[in-house]
Amino acid sequence: MPRPGFVLDVDRSTPPMLFWRGENFSLERLPADRSRVIYPPEPLAGIEDVDGAIRNALLNPMDAEPLPTLLKPDMKLTICFDDASLSLPKMRQPDTRQRIIEAVLEMAAAAGVDDVHLIAALGLHRRMHDYELKHVLGDRIFDAFHPRGTLYQHDAEDYDNLAVIGETEEGEILEINKRVAESDLVVYANVNQVAMDGGWKSITTGVASYRCLSFHHNPKTLQNTRSLMDRHHSDLHKSLWRMGKVLRDSGPQVFTVETTLNTDTFPKPFDFLAKREWEWNAKDRATYLATQKSLSAMPVKARRKVMHNIESPYKMTSVQAGFTPTVHEETLKNVYAQHLVDVEGQTDILTMGIPYICPYNPEGIMNPILVMCMGLGYLFNMYRGKPLVREGGVIIMTHPTYPDFNPVHHPSYIDFFEEVLPDSTNPAVMSEKWEKKYAEDEWYRHLYRTGNAYHGVHPFYAWYWGAHGQQHASKVIIVGGDAATVRRLGFTPASTMNDAFEIASDVVGRSPSITHLHVPSVLVADVK
Amino acid sequence: MRALQVRRNIAMLGMARIASAVSPVMAAKMGPLEMRTVDDPECPGGTNAEGWHRVHTRLAGICGSDIALVEGHASTYFEDWVSFPFIPGHEVVGELDSGKRVVLEPVLGHAARGLPLPFAGASPADGDDYAHLAMDSNGGALATGIQTGFCCSTGGGWAPWFWAHESQLHHIDDDMPDERAVLVEPLAGGIHAALLAQPSTIGTENPVVAVLGAGTMGLAAVAGLKRYVPEARVVVGARYPHQQAYAKALGADVVVPSGELQRAVRREVGGMLVGGRLTSGAHVTIDAVGSNASVSDALGMTKPRGRVVLLGMPGEITLDLTGLWHRETELKGAYTYGTETLADGRTTSTFDLAIEAANYFEAERLLSATYPLADHVDAIAHAASAGRRGAVKIAFDMRERS
Amino acid sequence: MASSHIKRAQRLAGTAERAVSRVTTPLRNFGFPYRIPTVPRGVEVPPEVTGLGAHYDTEWARRPLASGVRGIITEGPIRLAARVLANPEVAGLDRLSDLMRMEDPPPVIFAPTHHSHFDTGVMIRSIPTVWRRQLVIAAAADYFFDKKWKSAISALSLNAVPIDRESAGRTSSDLLSGLIADGCSLVIYPEGGRSPDGWGQSFKGGAAFLSSKTLTPVVPVFIEGTGAIFGKGMKRPKPGNTKVVFGSALSPLEGESTRRFNARIEAAVTVLGDEAITDYWSARQRAARGMSPVLTGPEYTSWRRDWDLADRRKLGAAGKRRRQKRTWPDLG
Repeated sequence: MPRPGFVLDVDRSTPPMLFWRGENFSLERLPADRSRVIYPPEPLAGIEDVDGAIRNALLNPMDAEPLPTLLKPDMKLTICFDDASLSLPKMRQPDTRQRIIEAVLEMAAAAGVDDVHLIAALGLHRRMHDYELKHVLGDRIFDAFHPRGTLYQHDAEDYDNLAVIGETEEGEILEINKRVAESDLVVYANVNQVAMDGGWKSITTGVASYRCLSFHHNPKTLQNTRSLMDRHHSDLHKSLWRMGKVLRDSGPQVFTVETTLNTDTFPKPFDFLAKREWEWNAKDRATYLATQKSLSAMPVKARRKVMHNIESPYKMTSVQAGFTPTVHEETLKNVYAQHLVDVEGQTDILTMGIPYICPYNPEGIMNPILVMCMGLGYLFNMYRGKPLVREGGVIIMTHPTYPDFNPVHHPSYIDFFEEVLPDSTNPAVMSEKWEKKYAEDEWYRHLYRTGNAYHGVHPFYAWYWGAHGQQHASKVIIVGGDAATVRRLGFTPASTMNDAFEIASDVVGRSPSITHLHVPSVLVADVK
Repeated sequence: MRALQVRRNIAMLGMARIASAVSPVMAAKMGPLEMRTVDDPECPGGTNAEGWHRVHTRLAGICGSDIALVEGHASTYFEDWVSFPFIPGHEVVGELDSGKRVVLEPVLGHAARGLPLPFAGASPADGDDYAHLAMDSNGGALATGIQTGFCCSTGGGWAPWFWAHESQLHHIDDDMPDERAVLVEPLAGGIHAALLAQPSTIGTENPVVAVLGAGTMGLAAVAGLKRYVPEARVVVGARYPHQQAYAKALGADVVVPSGELQRAVRREVGGMLVGGRLTSGAHVTIDAVGSNASVSDALGMTKPRGRVVLLGMPGEITLDLTGLWHRETELKGAYTYGTETLADGRTTSTFDLAIEAANYFEAERLLSATYPLADHVDAIAHAASAGRRGAVKIAFDMRERS
Repeated sequence: MASSHIKRAQRLAGTAERAVSRVTTPLRNFGFPYRIPTVPRGVEVPPEVTGLGAHYDTEWARRPLASGVRGIITEGPIRLAARVLANPEVAGLDRLSDLMRMEDPPPVIFAPTHHSHFDTGVMIRSIPTVWRRQLVIAAAADYFFDKKWKSAISALSLNAVPIDRESAGRTSSDLLSGLIADGCSLVIYPEGGRSPDGWGQSFKGGAAFLSSKTLTPVVPVFIEGTGAIFGKGMKRPKPGNTKVVFGSALSPLEGESTRRFNARIEAAVTVLGDEAITDYWSARQRAARGMSPVLTGPEYTSWRRDWDLADRRKLGAAGKRRRQKRTWPDLG
């Protein structure tokens, strides 16, 4: 029986806690009697017969006709799927999307559908490499569709292939990929790893244009998104749901297939990383020491390679298909069932270890801007109700924060770091002064369309993602990071955790209360 | 008199070069430069005795070419253009016997050598034929030498006094401090390079000039650009924080660490980065560093049919010039100074512009430290590692303690 | 010159014969019981129950020592030979990943196409370790178990078990069920024997029957290219490329007859064959329309069958040369 998540009050017998530190780990001791650690729930059991469950969902959808009845021989069928930003880390083959799409294709073949397009719904993310497409879809689908040109990736800068669906009552324009807009049926294969994704978000961001995204990917909306994981209190999701209504009223018919994952993040023998520290047996402790020492001894490039080769043995916990909003409510129930932990009240300090990967650097380098995005954007937003740290409190993160950038994936991030951040770290200022220049730069546009680069404007989005966290905390400290780089992000560098507490005492006094978010496994804190 | 003299000694030059890899102090100690008691130089006037004056050194700067010589890195090109043994020092503010203060324009040109001027009002460095610099003149009294500081007959700035011809002397006002005046000669070099950028920027829309390197010469080029090529936007790549601060103070529009210069130029002019080079680039790039890497970088950030001005003495370098050929880039050397023709058609001498610029920018801020002649080892070591040690210009101070 | 070789061989044989007879001539004086008895007139001799054919007892080959030896033979020379001669490209294993990743993976029955003796080697190379360590091959009793030495080698190196091709004997099927119950996975060729002419033969019901009886899933497998390497009738193997495509595991439906299930297995292998030479989507589309190209080939006989076979082989793995084909630009 998987145990639920819980909050541990740290006392003198508590062992040091595991912190991610980029491509390595560290164990940090937290002060006794005023610290608490939030542990995620243990991984739920997966579905036994996954393919059977998918087929069942397609034949018995929610608020929609069974899929075979929607498939006709002369129709235009488009299958969209989540891109390489999910899952994190990538899952073992066969990927959920491969299973869903093969099941849909079986039914499409049986119905005699000829015109099928498969589109990676990447929004303004980078194009996927061929090997990434093969990993997500499997060799069979790739070999069948890619050579024919019917498997491709959404291009938000291809102005000839965008179509405006309509406008919401607040004047937001929904503009999406033309093939999707003109299809008779759009099937979306989704992997809902966190509560932020899925629902109407899938199509209104995944195959949208920059113009369409800028209505909600901006500092004001994101500062009023509290939190990203709680769609009922998120301005971002309110906007997305408005656009969803336009899609429903004037757009193509959408049949969404949503799936949820458990939190089996680490393959053996590293599964102890998700275990509670006092339950590590001798083998676990030996493995931890061996891993940490050998990672420390390797050069950074080798470490990154090791970490990015991890394939998670995720198990599917639910699958539902049919009408988007109904399906999504069911999906969220399953997501929260795996992620929610009840927490009482806030503390002065929030500590968290930042991993080597976030949705915007699969197979790549986590540059300083993404460290901010992962810490203040994603991990800070893992709450419902109230943030874990009080307003004006201190956030302490651990990450080496090298000023390293992957020039193929993140060319505009380099210029953002060199030009925009020294000028201002305020999202409102940078959005006024710099965003347009980066969004319209020809070189970035060229690399996004033909290379494997994130869109020119993407570093701004990564920064806006952390806008709520940036506004909420009065001080952000990075332990173990490169000092000049940390300062450029607008944060304070510290060498050790104790130094960090010392620096924080200026704001929160000498005996602050501390919450540590015990990721590796994802969790959502339900803060009362 | 006691002065610093360079004797021709190949062995010592060789040792200095090797020692320079260890440290500048070692190179200075083992090099061919030595403090000696030398005979007072005779007047090099000879058959052209009119117009020669004794100049008593007040401040004498240490230049990159001096360091290159002392460390054995100077190119063998100059073999035929210097006469040993000589006393170095060509960035001089001094005092005549009459008490009037002057700044030295070191080139030993036609007038000093008793030859007809190439054109009326020519400066010492003007002319299409450099032959006179490589010959003994004045009936043998004035030996070969491109300038004071490389000639055995005149003496040089790193001594209590030396001989100079009136064509080499520029009088300065009493209110111009010595510390400012010693920067005039390097400023002249920078202004000359900056004016070489003007043909490419005049009449162009939004011209961008990139400057690689912000040591003395780079900063001089920035000063020259901001004052005399005002239409251009100046982007500077400077390695050290104090250099970046000076560049900004002199008015540069964009100042970045040297590694980021290429991308900064791209952000100014647009275009793409292909194969480590910009597809477009700055209209003019001034290379004030002078190494393999810097010339190569300069070629990669200049637009097709743009111009690269080599301000820093490059020495022998190995370069792939395919890019230059493909992009039809112009490579232009910039050496010293002479008569300049400005955009509005006026002709003036570079030194006059330099004196005006020195006053305008208060150039004495670039003089970081002075040393007595006896401490020449420390002085040269400091000058050789000026950037790392937060300095720009180092000079010898020969004024009497009054 | 051939005749001089034969002459030399004869001379050698003569020398050998003389040496042997010098030893055996004195023994001629010994009779029964040293030598075979002669049979008197008018008596019927009951036929001897030979321990060969379908009755060969292969139990000894599954004892620890023999298993260990076989492990070495399988993992070493057999897999290496399969790689060198046949270079198999394996596809479709992800269809079995759910079964493979179970705590205690159940045994399965592999039902591959059969064109060559190399099929077994290729299967041993391609089957995942989870099942390979306890694998039993069903081999034709009349071919592999007619002689004692053949039986011994087949049993030891391949863990082969005799199957009676002529009659649907109970011995074989009881034996196999017992082995499956012990956890062994099985490779059984539903076509019964190697293809005589390069096209497939219709599937017999052995695999389907066993699956229903033991409730073991059947994994259909399509092997492409072994027929061109060492098909029936070829004297010497010709190294080339092969492709092995695994399909999803099939289990008999409630109350489904062996005949129907067998037809389903054959249909699955047919679609895999289509998938192997074209692509997944086209194969699925043709399967849905009932237009998958049949494995048994065209209806007509004679040279046109062979002609079509050559065309089909060009599309498959054997048609790909080991080195990359140069693609010339289309100037048209």
